[in-house]
Amino acid sequence: MMEFRREESGTVSAMFEPVEVDLLRHVASQLLQLLASVDTDDTAMLSQPAIHRLLPDAYPDDPEAAAEFRRFTADGLIEGKIANATVVLTALGDEERSSDTDWADTGRAENDGADVSSHDPLPVPIVLTEPQVQSWLRTLTDLRLVVADRLQIDTSGVTHLDDEDSQVVNEIYNWLGMVQESLVYAIDA
Amino acid sequence: MPQIDESTRVRESVSLDRPWVTVVWDDPVNLMSYVAYVFRSYFGVSAPEAERLMLQVHNNGRAIVATGDRESMERHVEAMHGYGLWATLDKAEE
Repeated sequence: MMEFRREESGTVSAMFEPVEVDLLRHVASQLLQLLASVDTDDTAMLSQPAIHRLLPDAYPDDPEAAAEFRRFTADGLIEGKIANATVVLTALGDEERSSDTDWADTGRAENDGADVSSHDPLPVPIVLTEPQVQSWLRTLTDLRLVVADRLQIDTSGVTHLDDEDSQVVNEIYNWLGMVQESLVYAIDA
Repeated sequence: MPQIDESTRVRESVSLDRPWVTVVWDDPVNLMSYVAYVFRSYFGVSAPEAERLMLQVHNNGRAIVATGDRESMERHVEAMHGYGLWATLDKAEE
């Protein structure tokens, strides 16, 4: 991915490799499914680590007040997060960009860059308006929060996931951070 | 609706008491550049102030980013959760 840059028109744009577009579409779709599955009345579901990090306790020492806060805010927050992820997916388009991606199981990284680029060498321009940038920043954060939970990243930032997927998931996590940082710098410039 | 009157009265009496604070906690996920950006764009603080608050979160584990009545702090916490930051509210220390 080339870094995001601010255009004269006020939009922010970057070139993504086709495989990156497909990857982001895949993880954003998964996030959307997760968000859509959240039942804000289901306290057991809300206490699952990934969901709990998306909707943390507002009152850490007062479970009753935390539950009340959640009652009033959770639906709106989830709706907002769903809307943001939808904006990201819309900007990416429906079309599969690389013919060889199988992110369904994020353990497969066999499709290395050379192979993918031979299928479709053309980078994809991603052009975002200011409101779209806001959705992207938030969705990239939500994605990293969920992926960090998958990686079992502890409070000091150390990863505890150690299985066949950990390297790929870790790369996705870092890549999402790179995209986000690039966006922050572009709108700050 | 007596219930609403009741809660309003409670809130008012609370607001005369100690103020509330919005606390943002350090987490290993959010990027420092993003956290500073959120402080600038949401709270409207200057770049150096946003940087100072962000470093306070990073180095001390938490920072108080706003002080005021309970409802305003709840609104800020909700907004921070919208940004994906780990925020809580608490009564200000005496």
